[in-house]
Amino acid sequence: MNFQLTEEQELIRKNIREFAAKHVEPIAAEVDENERHPVELFKKLAEGGWMGIPIPTQYGGSGSDYLTNAIVVEEISRSCSSTGFTVSIQVGIVCMLILLLGNEEQKKKYLVPLAKGEHMGAFVLTEPGAGTDVMAATTTAAKDGDFYVLNGTKTFISNGPLADTYIVFCWTDKAAGRKGMSSFIIPKGTPGLIPGEHFHKMGLRSSQTSEVVFKDCRVHKDNLLGKEGLGLTNAMTGFDHGRVGIAAQSVGILQAALDESIRYSKERVQMGSPIARHQAIAWMIADMATDLEAARFLTYHAAWLKDQGKPFSKEASMAKLFASEKAMHHTTKAVHIHGGYGYIKGAKVERLMRDAKITEIYEGTSEAQRMVISGNVLR
Amino acid sequence: MLDIVVCFKWVVDEAFIRRTSSGDLDFSSVDYKISEYDRNAIEAAVRLREEYGGSVTAVIVGAPEAAKGVKDALSRGPDRAVFAEDPLFRDLDPSQTASVLGQVISSKTPFHLIICGEGSGDVYSQQTGPRLAEFLGIPCAAYVQRLTVKEEKVMADRKVEGFIEVDILPLPALVTVLPDIATPRIPGVKDTLMASKKAVIKVGKNELTAVPPPLLKTQSLKAARVERECEKFTAEAEGIKRFVAALQKRGVLK
Repeated sequence: MNFQLTEEQELIRKNIREFAAKHVEPIAAEVDENERHPVELFKKLAEGGWMGIPIPTQYGGSGSDYLTNAIVVEEISRSCSSTGFTVSIQVGIVCMLILLLGNEEQKKKYLVPLAKGEHMGAFVLTEPGAGTDVMAATTTAAKDGDFYVLNGTKTFISNGPLADTYIVFCWTDKAAGRKGMSSFIIPKGTPGLIPGEHFHKMGLRSSQTSEVVFKDCRVHKDNLLGKEGLGLTNAMTGFDHGRVGIAAQSVGILQAALDESIRYSKERVQMGSPIARHQAIAWMIADMATDLEAARFLTYHAAWLKDQGKPFSKEASMAKLFASEKAMHHTTKAVHIHGGYGYIKGAKVERLMRDAKITEIYEGTSEAQRMVISGNVLR
Repeated sequence: MLDIVVCFKWVVDEAFIRRTSSGDLDFSSVDYKISEYDRNAIEAAVRLREEYGGSVTAVIVGAPEAAKGVKDALSRGPDRAVFAEDPLFRDLDPSQTASVLGQVISSKTPFHLIICGEGSGDVYSQQTGPRLAEFLGIPCAAYVQRLTVKEEKVMADRKVEGFIEVDILPLPALVTVLPDIATPRIPGVKDTLMASKKAVIKVGKNELTAVPPPLLKTQSLKAARVERECEKFTAEAEGIKRFVAALQKRGVLK
């Protein structure tokens, strides 16, 4: 068993850490406060090839692997988890789905600009009445000759207001049940595709989230991503990949919570000594460091399995479940360690705690992860 | 066309050095990095190549584990690397490093200009560059913050106490540079992946005529300790009065 990253992975980690310290950390509080998508930052990320790490170079990517992508999402999230998540969803779900399911023409047309970071992508599945219960979706794509006509409302769509490329899931044959959903690639500007306004959120505020409405949106059959009727399977494939990214994002949040807690507890003096020397605080930090290591190993293992071409669905869910719940638990502790100072706007731990909550919810709630895991182990 | 050699050192990342309770330095879990000023030197070399054409060869003397440093350096733009590699090269003193660099450079890579960082991030003796110039018998300018090349000459702006001195050196020449020379780039993903595909010429100890005995010997390493009194002052009138009084008491203010 080899726990050693490759030299390239270690160097890439150092480089993205330096990049994040220089370009991400200084604006993280501001983009959170103003709910701003930092276009200038994403341009820099694109220039460095950070937006298409596991995508082959012939499709505009950097030609690396999924583990390296997880490391990069982790390190960006350590500074700003909104930015880390936006990279994660773009690469982990949108790019990967087109890479795995798209035909050559779709890859050239849609994947290349996405992997180069020139375009932004969105994964359009959730509906007002269909979260964990994907089958409760109501958006339909009615066949009309060589075309499909989409109608319905999607919600909580990350990158919804600004995406160039939408991957949309809807019923092409509701009566066929699990074989009745299909996935489409739809470019922005398609008549009838109506992105909504950015939602104001508790955390992850610079990530742009909105409704996406389809009103008689007519798309050619060439826009089908994968085969008709396999939408649900495709969505699950997207989730498997995406969950590794959310796990990595959670690891980044956890690492930041630990960094901040160590720094503050060594500085803050109470009752004559730094609070780090008080056992109550030291043990919180010990637990935080231990869970961080465990979360990181689960995450890297899931990514490594993916890179080896092995099944990784269960491991991705385990990593996502564990890392996100520990991120929530320990960011709360990190605020606690900071006391009143941690509760004030502008304290990094305050942002970390708000950002952590969503990791337990999106791309499958903790309960959905437990369904996947139990489904696997009870088989 | 300008063929440039840039020398770099693979040093302990000081962020990972721990201090034991006895004051010794604990290197057991350290990571390594390209010495800070050398990163600027590499960037300067690559920019000069972009401006004047030619090539950049990164040269390092180090132990086998510095192979990662070679990749790191190559990801920053040089065309190739020369790696003088031996476990004994882990702790050379500046005279030895200069001798090995000199032998390697003169036998393996023709050059017009050699660029070194002003001093290394670990011991910062500032000797290797000038000693290397002496070994090769070429002119040398230290503390350089700007370089211009024209008609077989290099113009070097040297930042010396209180003023800037401009030297003109005939090529081939060696300069040691300050961080102002160029801000190092952060390599992108492809830069790092491509680095593995660039040529690395390895030179073993047995290919050198001789490595001279060290002129310096490190006897011990101890962590510097700054005793702090941890006295805190507020920004209110009373606090400021106490602050001034404290400075006077310690002779900082008279």
